[in-house]
Amino acid sequence: MDSADDARRWRRRDRASTAGLLSGPLLWLLLFFLAPVIYVAVYSVGGIKIFPNDTGVLSLGDWKHFLVGGSVYMGLFWKSIRIALTVSVIVVILAYPVGYFLALCAKKRKYVLLLLIIAPFLTSYLLRVLAWEVILGDSGVVNAFLSAVHLRSPDHPVTWLLNSQFSVILVLAYVWVPFVALPIFVSLDNLDGSLLEAASDLGASRLRTFLRITLPLSLPGVIAAFVFVFVPTIGEFVTPLLVGGPRGYMYGNAIADQFTKSTDWQTGSVLAMFLLLVVAALMVLFGRYVRVRSVAA
Amino acid sequence: MDAAASTGARRLLRIFYALLLLFLYAPILILAVFSFNDGDPSFPLQGFTTQWYGKFFASPLLLEALRRSVIVATASSVIALILGVLAAFALIRRRFVGKPAASALFFSPLVIPYLVFGISLLLLFTLVDKILKQTAGVYIGLGLHAVVIGHVVVTLPYVILVIMPLLERLNISLEEAAHDLGAGTWQTFRRVTLPLLMPALFSAFLIAFTLSFDEFAIASFLVGTEPTWPVYLFAQLRVPSQLPQLIAVSSVILFASLFVVLLAEIIRRMVERRYGAEYATRGLA
Repeated sequence: MDSADDARRWRRRDRASTAGLLSGPLLWLLLFFLAPVIYVAVYSVGGIKIFPNDTGVLSLGDWKHFLVGGSVYMGLFWKSIRIALTVSVIVVILAYPVGYFLALCAKKRKYVLLLLIIAPFLTSYLLRVLAWEVILGDSGVVNAFLSAVHLRSPDHPVTWLLNSQFSVILVLAYVWVPFVALPIFVSLDNLDGSLLEAASDLGASRLRTFLRITLPLSLPGVIAAFVFVFVPTIGEFVTPLLVGGPRGYMYGNAIADQFTKSTDWQTGSVLAMFLLLVVAALMVLFGRYVRVRSVAA
Repeated sequence: MDAAASTGARRLLRIFYALLLLFLYAPILILAVFSFNDGDPSFPLQGFTTQWYGKFFASPLLLEALRRSVIVATASSVIALILGVLAAFALIRRRFVGKPAASALFFSPLVIPYLVFGISLLLLFTLVDKILKQTAGVYIGLGLHAVVIGHVVVTLPYVILVIMPLLERLNISLEEAAHDLGAGTWQTFRRVTLPLLMPALFSAFLIAFTLSFDEFAIASFLVGTEPTWPVYLFAQLRVPSQLPQLIAVSSVILFASLFVVLLAEIIRRMVERRYGAEYATRGLA
């Protein structure tokens, strides 16, 4: 057997084994991820009939009604965008100093200190939200404290603490901070320390060094962190359900309610597809900043 | 001179870090305190009791929900681990047409809103059942199998992300050496590659397990009549009289999971030290 033959045989074997490696995970995602999503898209324009009251004819009617019909859902969508923006900004502002401290000041213990920040993220989401119900409620920790120091009588508790936009924003920020500390830390930790030394040797003040070197170089991490909070928060529905009340009702709740409370699955599909398109557009816009690896570095 | 921060700024940053830790842990600690409180979860505290913990073990529905979650989390993380190893090998070790598209597909579950994904699977199962009923008179229905299917999809990218960096750094000459010494493909994988990948597999399994065990949004659409622990917990949160008991269970699970996470990190570090700096992963799982 000559060497060319040998090489060809190897290449063929290689190709077969590549297909073998890929077929499992690809098939799973095609069947259980891509297919269902495409199916929702088709369903949202009436391409499939599941229930007797589905139209079953192709039409953009539901889409048109949602997009230009001045529907209540559009208002909810913008409210969710506002909430998501607020939460993302708060979270990044809280996480940046911590990432800075850990990456540039903490030296040896930085990984242990970072783990302390991240650990809550790995515990139950529902429970961490539940904890805030206990803290913010009418007879909760905050109101009990206020009445104990006679700032407020127990009969007139501060009611806006719970079941409001405030509580939704606070709790979402609480839930996301540990998650966001990581990408910011990674971007600051990868910073070449000699750049900072060079800047200070050349006479730059610490503030100037920060503004001209540290901040710009850590910006990709900040944007990644921002996107990783902003994107899932637009479609959030669990936290508003628990601590939002009617005033904290978000776009995600409207979607979920179409499938659980009412049975207008077709409208629900339109709302869900619209959310997915917005997310996809955001990822196309900001995707280049988001190195997925920073999530699990 | 330290260019990053002056002594004063450093002190401020340390205080900020401490305050953030307080913000993160105080609610969890408050929950833990109330789990021993003999009364409603509100101040003033009524007295010390462990009755809620006792009741926890006496509630069959609750234990059943926990059992279901353990089953779902185990099944979905094992499947995700197998698929993830295959995908990571293909992405790191092979060249093929359409690699960017494949990798985009593998990682897109990271950004899909879980709400939308849960609904999509719900619709898929409804449609498949409708077709099956019409043609064969049978149906699959919702349940734990549906939850497992969904959880594999969303945990898969995390598994791949944890395995890829280690696989990338793995010295391929070790495998070539095994091959030259007469080991077959499978033997090389089992005796050389797999043991070297062990720390990453361990982390990946843990991440997938925690994610799945705690996942509510997708599960809430797919459990049917078999609520997993988060779905059960959510339903019970609506019943105020149940609250103290739920807080007790929750504290147990919360501290158990914190303990497991810290333990896992310690073990991972020990294993890594044994395998030497060459395989040391920077950062955290």
